[in-house]
Amino acid sequence: MAVVALHEGTRPSGVFTRHDIHGDTVVDCDVVIVGSGAGGATMAAELAEAGIDVVVVEEGSYYGTRDFTADTSAMIRQLYRDGGATMAIGNPPIMFQEGRAVGGSTVINGGMSWRTPEPILQRWEHEFGLAGIARELEPYFDRVERRIHVAPMDESAIGNDNWLLKKGADAKGWKYVGNLRNQVHCIGSNRCAFGCPTGAKQSALVSYIPRALHYGARVYADVVVDRITRHGKRATGVMGHVRRPDGSRGHALAVRAKLVVSACGAIHTPALLERSGFRSPSGLIGHNLSLHPNVKVVAIFDEDVTGWKGAHQAFQVREFEEQGLGVFAAVNVPPSILAMSFPHRGAQLGALMQQYNHMVLAGLLCEDTTTGRVRTLRGKPQAFYQLNAHDTANMQRGLVLLSELLFAAGAKRVLLPFAHAKEVATPDEAHRLLDKPIPTHGWEVVTVHMMGTARMGADRSAAVTDFHGQVYDADRLIVADASLFPTPIRVNPMETIMALATHAAGHVIDNTRRLLS
Amino acid sequence: MKPTTRAVLRSLVPVVCPPEAVPLTEAIVDHMGLALDASPALLRTGLDVGLVAYDLGAIARHGKRARSLTGEAAERYFRSWEHGITPMHRQMAHGINQLMSLSCYEQPEMMERVGYRPAPWIAEVTKKRLTVFADDIAKQDRQILAPDPLRRNRETTSDLIAAKKVGS
Repeated sequence: MAVVALHEGTRPSGVFTRHDIHGDTVVDCDVVIVGSGAGGATMAAELAEAGIDVVVVEEGSYYGTRDFTADTSAMIRQLYRDGGATMAIGNPPIMFQEGRAVGGSTVINGGMSWRTPEPILQRWEHEFGLAGIARELEPYFDRVERRIHVAPMDESAIGNDNWLLKKGADAKGWKYVGNLRNQVHCIGSNRCAFGCPTGAKQSALVSYIPRALHYGARVYADVVVDRITRHGKRATGVMGHVRRPDGSRGHALAVRAKLVVSACGAIHTPALLERSGFRSPSGLIGHNLSLHPNVKVVAIFDEDVTGWKGAHQAFQVREFEEQGLGVFAAVNVPPSILAMSFPHRGAQLGALMQQYNHMVLAGLLCEDTTTGRVRTLRGKPQAFYQLNAHDTANMQRGLVLLSELLFAAGAKRVLLPFAHAKEVATPDEAHRLLDKPIPTHGWEVVTVHMMGTARMGADRSAAVTDFHGQVYDADRLIVADASLFPTPIRVNPMETIMALATHAAGHVIDNTRRLLS
Repeated sequence: MKPTTRAVLRSLVPVVCPPEAVPLTEAIVDHMGLALDASPALLRTGLDVGLVAYDLGAIARHGKRARSLTGEAAERYFRSWEHGITPMHRQMAHGINQLMSLSCYEQPEMMERVGYRPAPWIAEVTKKRLTVFADDIAKQDRQILAPDPLRRNRETTSDLIAAKKVGS
């Protein structure tokens, strides 16, 4: 059984790695999918079950659940693109993280599973001509939630940091929700971001990928796709090469297919399309990059928190979601990651870190109102993104609110996310400090939600793809990742990606004669 | 890692890391090497160039390379970069601080010192989960593979191929 094999850490049949490719290789199939994350794995499973011959090509390596250990930096090197050191250029630069492993970013995300909020779908319908999208996606959301087991957390797995966040929200009278996550009895190892070592998180690695393999799909790991091959405007497959452990090029792999799906995320999909010579009539490939910028504070409590014993994000404060501040949440990170976010050093750093088990790291997600761009420079993507004054002011307001919440929960000090960290000891101090604009170059901003760079829409002059992800002015080429989002969605994007990918798979199955003949 | 890079980083451990981490200098620098190997080439090159500039820049100010500075002189020199007159100086100091702090607190001794012991915790909760929730886990594993076609009664590609063969 494939699932058992995955949990045991052995490589299941149907997964090929660099060790299996001994020379330049040509593979034939019906559909080749680039990327094995939320979009790619979902499409692979749905299409394979329908009897379609599917090949998935993934740049990252294959790891099983038992490969996920407590060695944080080893996990980052193995599971994150560029060791997690990827950055959108702007002032301030914004660090972003992408998964690079079989299962994609679902292997390293927190497992938050939320449907696209209704107001967002209404906006997509009205502004982007996606008529009936809410009704049309509903059965696909149901299906995805069943497959990846979206469920509330077991209360016993919730850590003290999250109870403190809830306590603060209760004290303020603010709206919050218990998190829905793709997990089966998550037990609070708090290692979501480094590969779930218990197998509780139902990432694509342990859900859609085993399903795809079970129904006959093949997965080629350790293979970088150089370009989509084409005949005129028709996509005909992909050309790639094996990625050796040192990053150098290994043997070539060519996949000949009747349909090509790009599911390598909002940073790499536009670059792949561009370097393959596809052009959009809208000229918008790579444009419209949204990031859900995140900022965080660290609160220090007298009481013991030990936030690493407990589930990653059990609650989300949603009081300000209509005001562009989508989510407030508590997220524990290992001491090394926390230490690198502090500007302190030497003995000061040591003294601060001694309070690690008394800290709550809380962040907020901003529904951004500006967009950036992914440019393709010498074939590689580079993101550019400049925070605008509106979002900066909104995040600054969010930091005041988040500090208020943490003080209401009993925090004694709160450290703010500026290069020369400001520390405040009361809500009034936070107000006073944050009432004045703070220059953006001093901000520490991060993100894990990249969206919108091949947006869907009914108007080919204002979108890159249609509602099924089919690229305008190209034939047999589909996008199935967060690139499709016309706007930011204010919540975690995984479930929306999976629902859109299922929707696209249904379209392919319904149109087999036209798309796969 | 280039010898120059290594020498400069070694000299920076007492400046950036807490005093109790100084005996771990070699391990911290080794770890930085691993982290840099996984980083984008541009970042690695930038750091190499920046560290050479940092090393040589100390000559004008202190009469010797940064790698030879110790104590208060090393501290003052690093601070001059933290508050440097160009963004490049500040960014470089910030980057070194980030990377070295990461590597410092990846050392088992430092994790132990702050009370972070994830391996036994993971082992404990994994065992508990597999024992207490075995039935639900098995049910989900079965669900993952159970037939549940997205579209029913459709022609498969194999049907199409078969039809084509019959036709011909």
